Amino acid sequence: MSGISVKELYKTYKGSAEPTLKGLTFQFGEGRIAGLLGPNGAGKTTTISILCGIVRGDSGEVKIHGLKQQAAHRESIKHIIGIVPQQIALYPQLSAVENLTYFGNLYGFKGKALQAKIMHYLELFGLEKSAHKEIHKYSGGMKRRANIIAAILHDPKLLVLDEPTAGVDVQSRSMILQFLRDYNRQGASILYTSHLLEEAQSLCEEVVIMDEGKMIVQGNPLALIQQHPDCKNLEDVFLHFTGNALRD
Amino acid sequence: MLRLLATIRKEWQLLLRDKTGIILLFVMPVVLITVMALIQDAPFKDYQDVKFDILTVDNDHGRLGRYVKEGLASGGQFNIIDSLEGKPVTAERARELVNDGRYKISIIIPAGATAAIVSNANRIVNDITHRMGMSVSLPVKKVPDSLNVTIYFDPAAKKAFKGAIHQSVDNFLTQVETDMLLDRIKYQLRSKDSTVANTDTLAIRLQAVGLKEQSTGTGKQLDVISNSVQHNVPAWSIFAMFFIVIPIAGNMIREREDGSLLRMKLIPGSYLAILAGKMLFFVGVCVLQFYLMMLVGIYVLPLLDLPQLVMGQHPGATLLVAGGIGLAATAYGILIGTVFKTPNQALNFGAISIVILSAIGGIWIPLEVMPAKMQLLGHLSPLSWGLDAINDIYLRNGDIEFVWKNVLRLILTGLAMLAIAGWVEKRRMN
Repeated sequence: MSGISVKELYKTYKGSAEPTLKGLTFQFGEGRIAGLLGPNGAGKTTTISILCGIVRGDSGEVKIHGLKQQAAHRESIKHIIGIVPQQIALYPQLSAVENLTYFGNLYGFKGKALQAKIMHYLELFGLEKSAHKEIHKYSGGMKRRANIIAAILHDPKLLVLDEPTAGVDVQSRSMILQFLRDYNRQGASILYTSHLLEEAQSLCEEVVIMDEGKMIVQGNPLALIQQHPDCKNLEDVFLHFTGNALRD
Repeated sequence: MLRLLATIRKEWQLLLRDKTGIILLFVMPVVLITVMALIQDAPFKDYQDVKFDILTVDNDHGRLGRYVKEGLASGGQFNIIDSLEGKPVTAERARELVNDGRYKISIIIPAGATAAIVSNANRIVNDITHRMGMSVSLPVKKVPDSLNVTIYFDPAAKKAFKGAIHQSVDNFLTQVETDMLLDRIKYQLRSKDSTVANTDTLAIRLQAVGLKEQSTGTGKQLDVISNSVQHNVPAWSIFAMFFIVIPIAGNMIREREDGSLLRMKLIPGSYLAILAGKMLFFVGVCVLQFYLMMLVGIYVLPLLDLPQLVMGQHPGATLLVAGGIGLAATAYGILIGTVFKTPNQALNFGAISIVILSAIGGIWIPLEVMPAKMQLLGHLSPLSWGLDAINDIYLRNGDIEFVWKNVLRLILTGLAMLAIAGWVEKRRMN
């Protein structure tokens, strides 16, 4: 069964002359770590937004764990999916515990069970000592880690991360990537976007390289490198398909 | 219910951390109503508690001059000044002093005014007695006088103030003329019929129908004088309550910018419950603001020599109105926070629009003194509905029956604004 299936997806934003997505098509299997890669303006964030149901596509079909992304299944999909946005989607004036308690309550969790879960994840992400510190006092890496915890409180089967390691130190990045591998081993699917292609090469079992709203190539990173003898790594493959022209 | 309660608790935690926000929501409004009540105390006192000095020049030295001076003094609102530095005030000096603005009013009673009135009364009596076949004739001047009592007003005096003084002096003139006429008729009747008692005066009979001021309310009417506190505390409290749009709009835009709104929308369950929690919290803050300012009007302003606020006798109706105003203000904040993309746009538009709505809604000056077209426009302002409802309770002792229409208007406007915000948000997603 496919974890994510996207077929002929089109999207043009109001006021924009150019479509952002032009018949995007790809598929990832359930329980895999997948990477959605592309230069700026390729349409990665729009694709993730449509997958999550925050933005509606103009046409095409999107399925998450077999459920069509449409009004009838939107609530069910929200139970399946956990999203880690690029921004730190937490209240800076509140502590990690206060933030996580609030979002846990919104998921319907409460009481000691919720607090135990929060403390478990804070320990796992090395934030237990700063549990009651306001988020705006956290370092960049700590904020990223807290941002991930808020997305996994409901144990989603599909975790979508938009550049989760942007601007963090090596230790935090290593910790986050290790967590993603461990979480995947527990059976969850992971879809991840990044501009750090070395990181994507080491983490992902499968990648989609997209540009100008279309899928350019899909496959296992190592297989893609082998298919192109002039490419030594995923970055070379990426440049091979997307070119060296600068993007806005 | 958990989503709603969790949102209320989260908003409470955010407010507690925001010291500037607390000052803006609770301290600034208290300062505002105190300053406005103090500043506007004097204009409100113009026609009530303030005593005015009236320069009186009595060149008549007769009954008219005495009547005018005694009449003005008996009202308690005027100090009669007829001499300065031990010297009687002259007409010329009085004109100069009023023109300089050192006095607001001067009344000049011309020489021979009483004599002119007496002569006129005698002429009328002679005419009556002659028609009745009586031969008695009272002395009259050959040529009737044409005299005027002159009033000088400070050029800056208000029109209504001038009118009130003019009316009072005119009444004194009529009173003197009537009294003198009746005296002469009485004198003639006594000389014709000795059985008429000395104590029986026509003047007393003419006062058989008097003038009595009575309240218009059906229930127990409050003895409230419209004063600076009674106008400014509710009016500026409503203004301050509407300023809650600033923190709400800022809060909504921050949530959108930092992604927490996105996170909330990705969580299963209705976003309406979250929105309802946010609304309930801010409506609660508005109501708290309102009662805090009422307490200031009751307990703090009297310490500054201002009158004490009177809140009427229907606390339930007051709470309903405060809730209605809070709902409209909160919904307006949510609408602004949804429509505008940056905090700067939202804050500028929010603040300026509230100032405009308050100005046309009778917060600064009562609607009644505005031009007719502005009054029509003013009645469209939610702030005017709130103020009308509060005045109905505080000044007219109205209950829920009095205020429900305005409360309904506030609630419906609030719901309409929420619906527009929802439509804008949905459109943005599509």
